[in-house]
Amino acid sequence: MKEILQVKSNRTKAYSIERKQAKWGLLFTVPCLVFFSIFSFYPIINAFITSLTNKQALSRTSKFVGFDNYAYLFAQNDTANGGFTLWNSLRATLTFTIGTFIPMVVISLLVAVLLMSLRKDRQRGFLQVAYYLPAVLSSVVATAIWMIMFDPRGLVNQLSNVVMMTTGKDYKWLVDTNMLQASTMLVYFWKYIGYFVILFITGLAAIPPTIYEAATVDGSSRWHTFWRITLPLLKPTVVLVSIMAMLQCLKTFSTQYMFTQGGASRKPIDVITMNIYFTGIRNGRLGRASAMSIILFLVMLLFTYLQFSTSKTDDVEY
Amino acid sequence: MVKYVGKLTVGEVLSWILLILILLFTVTPILFMATASFMDKTQILDMPYRWIPSSSYFKGEGRTFFTNFRKAIMGNNEDPVFLRNILNSLIVAITCAATTVLLASLCGYGLAKYRFRGRQFVFMAIMSTMMIPFEAIMIPLYMVASSMKMINTYQGMIIPFLVSAFGVFQMRQYLITFPTEYLDASRVDGLGEFAIYWKIVLPNCTPVIATLGILSFRNQWDNLLWPLLVAQSEKMKTIPQYITKFSEEKQTDEGAMMACAFLASIPMLLLFFALSKYFLGGAAVYESRKG
Repeated sequence: MKEILQVKSNRTKAYSIERKQAKWGLLFTVPCLVFFSIFSFYPIINAFITSLTNKQALSRTSKFVGFDNYAYLFAQNDTANGGFTLWNSLRATLTFTIGTFIPMVVISLLVAVLLMSLRKDRQRGFLQVAYYLPAVLSSVVATAIWMIMFDPRGLVNQLSNVVMMTTGKDYKWLVDTNMLQASTMLVYFWKYIGYFVILFITGLAAIPPTIYEAATVDGSSRWHTFWRITLPLLKPTVVLVSIMAMLQCLKTFSTQYMFTQGGASRKPIDVITMNIYFTGIRNGRLGRASAMSIILFLVMLLFTYLQFSTSKTDDVEY
Repeated sequence: MVKYVGKLTVGEVLSWILLILILLFTVTPILFMATASFMDKTQILDMPYRWIPSSSYFKGEGRTFFTNFRKAIMGNNEDPVFLRNILNSLIVAITCAATTVLLASLCGYGLAKYRFRGRQFVFMAIMSTMMIPFEAIMIPLYMVASSMKMINTYQGMIIPFLVSAFGVFQMRQYLITFPTEYLDASRVDGLGEFAIYWKIVLPNCTPVIATLGILSFRNQWDNLLWPLLVAQSEKMKTIPQYITKFSEEKQTDEGAMMACAFLASIPMLLLFFALSKYFLGGAAVYESRKG
């Protein structure tokens, strides 16, 4: 009896120590919880509330207007607000996102597979570092470099003339509506290609080599191995990387902003973040800009959801 | 059945061609920046471009080796605001890196090694903030910053980036595998819970600290949008804003712009060559997000 009591009291003692420890665990998370409450949850709620008002930067008072801001934004015709409409921004953002993330995912996956098949580790290491270099530079630096290369007399035109076998033709990289959009995509693609190659290499490195050996023994060709083995096993990585690439593209700002400041026309590349900036900060229409912020937030949620649900498969096990 | 070209198969030759093309694509613009930062406008836009540095780089009237760099630093009105701007960038980036590492590791440790009520909820709540893009909350943050008189202050530039949800996640994933025996042994030795974090846990996760610190430093070094909102005076601007200014002037001085871009890239390039493992690792850690 005494023994049993002893065990019991030991148990409660251990239990209370664990409880005491648990309190510390909660305490450790408090600073971050407070931070995220104030700087993530509160602002997004605040953005929604502001989007229901006609708040402007210079006036102290604001009036509740319900969903008027949203109605206004969605009803804008092509010429409203100098052409810088929400629809135009959605078009610019989606064009940029699709035009950037699909080539980026496809090419970086291809490059990663080719890199992994290199026989020498040193060659692979060198190429990885070289591909990654642009990602080290800031987006502003990247844009500055390309802006000068896109000059009518600049390097890109010189190269285009060689490739397209023309002489002295100006491809209007920063002038023509379509070329301007392509230019922003090219800058982004350049900056992030190495980054996504590394992500895929990490995913590829996790596939056990024994699987490839088995495939080789079975007489499978490289092409066959890629489609039937590598790609299915890599599917979770592909899904994850494309979500990341897409979300990143939806938030693009620096390149478009700098091109505009440098004199390119704003309308073709007026992505939604830039429109939020101009509407809210330059023009001081905080309510309307908040409505656009909420729309951006919802678009990103929707895309993430779609991506997850369309590509949902059984988890791969090696 | 496999065809050979020399010692390589046809497939290998094709893959080398593609790899080298990509190599040229990624490296050429950087070489362009490095060389153009020594040239004057007419040389930069010369056809064909002169890749090999020579004395002709500095042939223009009154030009020396340093002309562009001098202009990059002193601007048009002999005011070295560049130095102040680069200092601002350093202050913001270093502070954010340090606080991110500290707060994220503390929170990640709490989530990884303690079983408390609501732990799962706390974790999910923090993870869900990854779905709230900064671009969607910058307007309300700006309104708060301006009502709290934080425009043109370091507090205003730093506080929204004190910690990131991704940092917490990364730390938690890393610390889950931390041997619990160490922690228990330290408890037996009489160390307090915070002391265990400070003296045992923190010193033993340098790789993830380096990765996260670099990531957070880069994000701030690269940040243009938030400083555009809160850093409005010339003195409080950061390096991305300073570079943007070069393209805004009617008469863009390409040489000075490239020199400035080059100068602004030096800290990151040095960091990269010294710690490339952690840069490449930083990209790789994203991968573990699926786990």
